[in-house]
Order: sequence, then C-alpha cells, then structure tokens
Amino acid sequence: MVKQFVEQLAGVTGRLSRLALWIAGISLVVMTLLVLWQVFTRYVLHEPSHLTEPFAVVLMSWFIFLGAAVGTHEGFHMSFDVLTHALPARLRWVPEVISDLVVGLFGLGMVWWGVQLVLAGMDSTMPLVGLPDGVTYIPVVAGGALFALFSLERLCRRSVGLPASAHVADPHNPVPEVTEA
Amino acid sequence: ECEVTLKSSDTHPDGYPTVEAVKHMGALAKERSGGRICIEVFHSAQLGEEKDTIEQTKFGVIDLNRVSMGPFNNLVEQTKIVSLPYIFRNVNHMHKVMDGAIGDEILAAFAPHGFVGLAYYDGGSRSFYNSQKPIKSMEDLKGMKVRVMQSDIFVDMMTAMGASATPMPYGEVYSAIQTGVIEGAENNWPSYESSGHFEVAKYYTLDEHLIVPEVLVMSQVSWDRLSPEDQEIVKTAAKDSVPVMRKLWKEREKASEEKIRAAGAEIITEIDKTPFIEAMIPVYEKYVTSPEMRDLVKRIQATR
Amino acid sequence: MEMTILFGLFSVLLLIGTPVAFCLGAASLATIIYMGLSPIVVFQRVNSGMNVFSLIAVPLFIYAGDLMVRGGIAQRIVAFAGSLVGHVRGGLGQVNIATSTLFGGISGSAVAEAAAVGGLMIPQMKERGYGADYAVNVTSMAALIALLIPPSHNMILYSISAGGNISIADLFTAGIIPGLLLAVSLMVTAWIVAVKRGYPTEPFPGFGIALRLGLIALPGLLLIAIIFGGVRSGVFTATESSCIAAVYALLVTIFVYRQMTWANFVEATFGAVRTTAMVLLIIGMASAFSWLMAYDKVPARLIELMSGISENPLVILLLLNVILLLLGTFMDMGPTIIIVTPIFLPVAQAFGIDPVHFGVIMILNLGIGLNTPPVGGVQFVACAVGKISIWEAMRSIWPFYGAGVFVLLLVTYIPELSLWLPAQFK
Ligand code: NA
Ligand code: NA
Repeated sequence: MVKQFVEQLAGVTGRLSRLALWIAGISLVVMTLLVLWQVFTRYVLHEPSHLTEPFAVVLMSWFIFLGAAVGTHEGFHMSFDVLTHALPARLRWVPEVISDLVVGLFGLGMVWWGVQLVLAGMDSTMPLVGLPDGVTYIPVVAGGALFALFSLERLCRRSVGLPASAHVADPHNPVPEVTEA
Repeated sequence: ECEVTLKSSDTHPDGYPTVEAVKHMGALAKERSGGRICIEVFHSAQLGEEKDTIEQTKFGVIDLNRVSMGPFNNLVEQTKIVSLPYIFRNVNHMHKVMDGAIGDEILAAFAPHGFVGLAYYDGGSRSFYNSQKPIKSMEDLKGMKVRVMQSDIFVDMMTAMGASATPMPYGEVYSAIQTGVIEGAENNWPSYESSGHFEVAKYYTLDEHLIVPEVLVMSQVSWDRLSPEDQEIVKTAAKDSVPVMRKLWKEREKASEEKIRAAGAEIITEIDKTPFIEAMIPVYEKYVTSPEMRDLVKRIQATR
Repeated sequence: MEMTILFGLFSVLLLIGTPVAFCLGAASLATIIYMGLSPIVVFQRVNSGMNVFSLIAVPLFIYAGDLMVRGGIAQRIVAFAGSLVGHVRGGLGQVNIATSTLFGGISGSAVAEAAAVGGLMIPQMKERGYGADYAVNVTSMAALIALLIPPSHNMILYSISAGGNISIADLFTAGIIPGLLLAVSLMVTAWIVAVKRGYPTEPFPGFGIALRLGLIALPGLLLIAIIFGGVRSGVFTATESSCIAAVYALLVTIFVYRQMTWANFVEATFGAVRTTAMVLLIIGMASAFSWLMAYDKVPARLIELMSGISENPLVILLLLNVILLLLGTFMDMGPTIIIVTPIFLPVAQAFGIDPVHFGVIMILNLGIGLNTPPVGGVQFVACAVGKISIWEAMRSIWPFYGAGVFVLLLVTYIPELSLWLPAQFK
C-alpha cells in the first residue's frame, strides 16, 4: 500500500526530473548560442547586441537550479560522507534522513522567501530587458519546489526500504572508447 | 557605548570620497548623540552590488546606502530626469538644483518605495575616452564601440550619438580596449584613473555628457526604529557630510587629473557640445513622458 | 555568537554528509534567523551570487571539456603525447603529464581533466604494470596544471570575487609559467619514482609517426591558439572565449573527427549540466555564507589579527599559504575562492602583494587542496577511475605533494614568475 504510493510518486518525480534535465540542457545550449551571437554582432556586424548578456544570465540561473534539483533526485551532489560511513550500518539512516530534511526544508524556504523576492521586485524593471526585476527570482522558487519534492521522495523511498536515489548517476561518467588513433 | 549601530553600504573602495563622507557623518552623529549612534561603513561592495544592496536596504538589513541614480531609474521616475545627458550645464548647476527645492522634492519621491532620502553626493562628470583618436565632434564618434553600463538611458544616449553601445563587465574593459574588442568607454576623472583605462585609451574628451548626482538613502524600516531626535541627528549629520564630500571629491578629481596628464594622455577640451545636445532630443522624448516630468526638466533648465 | 552558529552548523552538517551546497545555505539561513534579520537576504545572495555574466565561462569551459572527451579530441591528444615522451623511463607517467599540459591548454577544469586523462591513461598504465597508486597520483597532480594554464575558470571566479576589477586576461597570462613549472616539476618527480620502482618505457615510434599523430591531434590542439590568439587580438573577451571553445570543440568533433553522435552530444550536454549545476549551486550558497561573514566584519578583524602577528610581507605570505592549505584540505576550490578572496586579498594588498600574483598563488595552493582528503574532488575522481581507496593513494602521494609545494614556494616568493609574462603584453 505505502510502497505502491512511493512507486507512483517515483514515477512522477522521475519524469519531472527528466523534464528538468532537458530544460536545463536546452538552456545551456541556448546560452552558448547567445554568447556566440554576442561575439558575432559585435565583431562581424559592428552592432553589439544589448540583450544577450541579461538573457544569458537568466538562462544560467534556470539551468543551475533545475540541474541542481536533478542532483537531489539522482543523488550526485558533492558531500563529505566519511563520518556517515564510520557509523554502524543500522544507524546510517539517521544522518541521511537529517540531510534529506535539511535539503527539503531549505527548498521550502526557497519557495516561501523566493515568492517574496519575486513580489518585491515587481515594481522595478531590469535595464535593457524591460521585464520586472522580480522575474529573475522565479528560478529560486521553481528550484526550491523541486528540492522539496525530491527530498520528500527520498524520505518516502527510505521509509519503505528503497535506495534514496532513483539511480546513481556518475557526473564524471566513463570516457568512451577510442575508435581510431 | 553605541546603542544604535547603523550599517552603511558603498560599492566604492575604502578612501573614496563617498566612503570617507559617510565615515565623517558617523563621527558627527556619534559626537552629537553623546556616543549613542554609530555608523559602520561597508565599502568595496562587501555586501553586494548596488541593485542587491538596494533590496537589502528595503528589507532593513542594511540601514544606510550610498548608491547611484541608475538602479533607481525604473523605480523613482524623478531619478531618470537627473540621469539624462546634458540635463545639467555643469557641476555648479547640478549643485544648485540638488541643494534647492527640486532636490528636496526628489528626495521625498523615494519615500513611497521604502527609502528615506538623506543627501546627495557627487558622481562626477562623465566624459568619453578612447584608444583611437581625439574625439572633437559627433562625426568622430560614429561607429566607435564604446562600453556603457547596463542602463537604458546610457545605451540610448550612445546610440543617438552614433556610437555602438557595448555592454560589458567593468573588469573586462581594460583588456577589451587594449586588444581592440572595444575602442573606448566613458567615466569621470577618478574612475578613468583608478581603472588604469588611461593607459590604454589615452584620448579623453571632456564633453561632460553626464553629471549625475549620487544619493544617500536610509531604510524606512531602520528610520522608524529611531526616536524623532535621533532621526534629526542622522539627517543633519548626512547633510553636513555633503560639503566634506565635495571637498574630498575636488581633491580626488584634481589628483587623478594630474596623474593622467603626467602619463601623457591627450585631454580634449575644445569641443562644441551643441550638436551632442541636439542629438539628445529623441532620448528626452523617450524618457520624459508625463507633464510633471516635462515640468521638472523645464525647472531644472531654468535654474540659474 | 553569530559566527559560532554559522561555522558550527556548517561543520556539523558537513560531517553528517549533507551536500556541501546545503551545508552553506542552511547554516546561513539559521544564522540570519538567529540575528533577527530578514531571511530573504539569504535567497537573494544565492541568486545574485550566480547571476554574474563572467560566471558563464564556468559552465561553458566545462561543457567544452565534456564535448572534447565525448567527441574524441582528448583521446587523440593522448596518442600524440605518447609518441613524444613515451620512451622516457616510466613513459606512460610522462605521457599522462604531457597530455594534462596540452589538454590543460584547452580545458580549465581539473576535475574534468582528471576524469578525461585518468579515464584514458590509468587503465593503460595498470595494464602495463604500473602501480595503481602511481597512476592515480600522477593523474590527480597533473590535473592541477589545467588550473594554471589558460583557460581557467577558477581564475575567473577569483577575479569576480575580487570585485571584478582584476583583468582576467592578465590572470590567464600569469598562470602560464607557473603551470609549465608544475609540469616540469611533476615530470621529474614521476621519473625519479619510476626509476626507483623500475617501471617500463615505451618504444619511440619514430619521428614520422609522431608527426602523423601530431597532425591528427592538431585540430583539437589548435584551440589553444584560437583561445589565446582570439583573446589577445580582440576578437572576443576572455569570458566569451569559453563559448568559442565549446562551439569549436563541437565543430571539430562533428566535421573533422566525425565522432559526435546525437547521443554523445546529449550526454555531453547533460554531463555539463550536472557538473556545473553542482558547482554553481555551491557558489551561489557560498555567496550567502560570505555575505554573513562580511556583515559580521570577519575580514576586517582578520586583517587586524594578521598585522598583529607580523608586518613582513614574506611572513604574511607564508601565513596566508598555510591557512589556504588548511582550508583547501577541508573545502572545495570554487567556494573557497569565493569566500576567502574578499577576506585575504585586502590583507595581501595591504602588505603590497600584487592581486594578479596573489591570484596565481591562491589557485595553485587551493589546487593542491583538491588532492587532499577529506574534501578532494580531483583525488576522488582519480581514485574512482583507478579503483583504489584514498588511503592507498595517500601512501605514495608524498613525493608529488613535494613537487607541488616546491612550485608553490617558487611562485610565492618569485613574483616575476607570475608577473613577467603579463607585463610583456602591456
Ligand atoms: Na587550463
Ligand atoms: Na582537500
């Protein structure tokens, strides 16, 4: 019963995480193209673009928070777990659950105070872009919501004895074979 | 000991006239309050860039903040008017306007946004410098890639003058001029000197296109925490720091100018500003939109 | 009290295995709540800490590195380096260092370099009878060359943390000689250890083959010239060069090596997203952390403390180096640069040390910290690739630490090693 719920939740969060990864990846590619466009407009067209810089920075915010949320789902964030490993196996869940709670609560904080930052920034506008300043804080809210959700998933998974991370992705994934000299 | 400690932010480095002026204000406030009110100055953007510290001031985390008008442009409409190119004929004109009724009116305009406007400091006169040739007319500026700050007015001003406005982080400007990514930038004497840009862009045209005052604001939250007599102490200490600031600014400007001239930069002073001023008509049309603002422009121009 | 909460909570969370980014964030949040200030500031700092245009060089250089590895540029550089120095005693160790130096000229991330060069070299070295510990230590120390030889996004981080007024181009140029010195010093050390352990040599393939392998690797290596030439001739800025690196790597791997499939491209992109999100989140959180330290006047108090100890710049430099080595032992490079620069740079400058020179010292010093447990990103990757524990690596890493610290001392006390080359471009 509980396990079934957890599996359903994992199905949803799995798709959400994949979606977040794709949006983040596309943001990275678009950011690359924007900077290329900046060089092109200045060096070739002699008419430097004024919009590439602010937009590149906003895209970066998005892919950092979305990519970092994927990190919570896949469990690849950098941590220092020497002490955890020194604990007897039956006690290891204690620090792990505390960590998940810290990440989840911080995520909720990002949502709560992030919304206030968005609202506080609605009456002024970003130079050159013309959008309200508050817009720059939307990634904080979105990222926070995902941190909270994925931490909840981790806690649920632990409670039914599943591994906390959906699948352990190695950020430094193996190097492909040499195909020719 | 200090009962009230006010934290004050500035993006300029230690020793800069605005930083020293706020320190002086702190000394005055301390003396006049019998040692109860103290001011701690955080220079060199230790607490963040201006846009961030303005938000922090709004939330009452920072009590005092020395900022330029730029970040307020889209919040307090009047700050846009004093940021317009050639709105002030010279520094004296700017001082007259800001020290008078118009200045008080603009300080009051900060109130609805959670800031108490305390005093105006000098931001100097900004002029063009470049690595290519002496700029004597608009024709010389044509097609030149000039770095400007991320601000609508600055970009529109540059475009109206026929140059290519190039936004770029300040820290990259030196090598960008050196390598030819851009040809020039614009700033006041002290910044032209301290950034070392005069080493790579040695033509400085004193067109003084922007004479923008800077402002010292206090957080409304912090202000409301003070008793009425303490508010008075802070306010008058701020006002009294202005002459000190102006004196320091003059000295600083002079020292920078001497250093730059000694380094062999070419200073262009004979320049007919009329065509530049005329080119700004579309910029004024774009930013001066309401009847109140048109009236403000007229009153500023009429100030003698 | 505030700082006790900040550092105390940070340490406790770190010890129980909370992700480093959230140790910084949660400690800052708890501290600001204790201080009775608006917690909004923490989240503003996290976001503003990442919303810096110059920072885009970090994801883009990492992305470029991922594309080079997935698209076959790195592999060809290994083959070329092998033909050049493989015949020296302990040849594959020399190849490893030479590859790191060449690859370091087109990539800026030591972690990426350890993953790329280690992934290619360590299995080969183990197969040819080298100790896994030797292979891992050579890889992890040689990876530090990438930090010093341009491009280097850690130098960009340093420039940003210093307030954005230090020329990135100068920093890039300043790292070249120290980077090459580190390469030479490691090669000598690797050779001595190899002679002691009786490691094999590779046959010299002949100049013809070396030349051919060089030509094959050339399209990738040309990036060194493109980045350096492009920045120096004014086509693009140092920050923008990261984008050119990524685009160029993509073009070479698609059109010249024809090895970049759609699947490889997607994996490289996702890989870059994962690594950079992890790194940049820490940077954002660290900026909330360091804001609190500034708010509590920690830097000012430190300067006072230091000037109480000595007025001699040589002593101050030694002191700063020792503190940095200690910090680097327990912390990762990016966050340390961001947290420490605004505190230490004013101290260094107060004693007359050039900010560009200090930047090179800091990068090399904290780089060594990437190979010291408990927090040693590069060492972890190298050990993972070599399939040995950190303790096994630690047993025989000492001569290589020696080589690193030797170069650190040279760089610290001979400012010209860093400052001479940038001055030639003025
Ligand atoms: Na490099
Ligand atoms: Na370490």
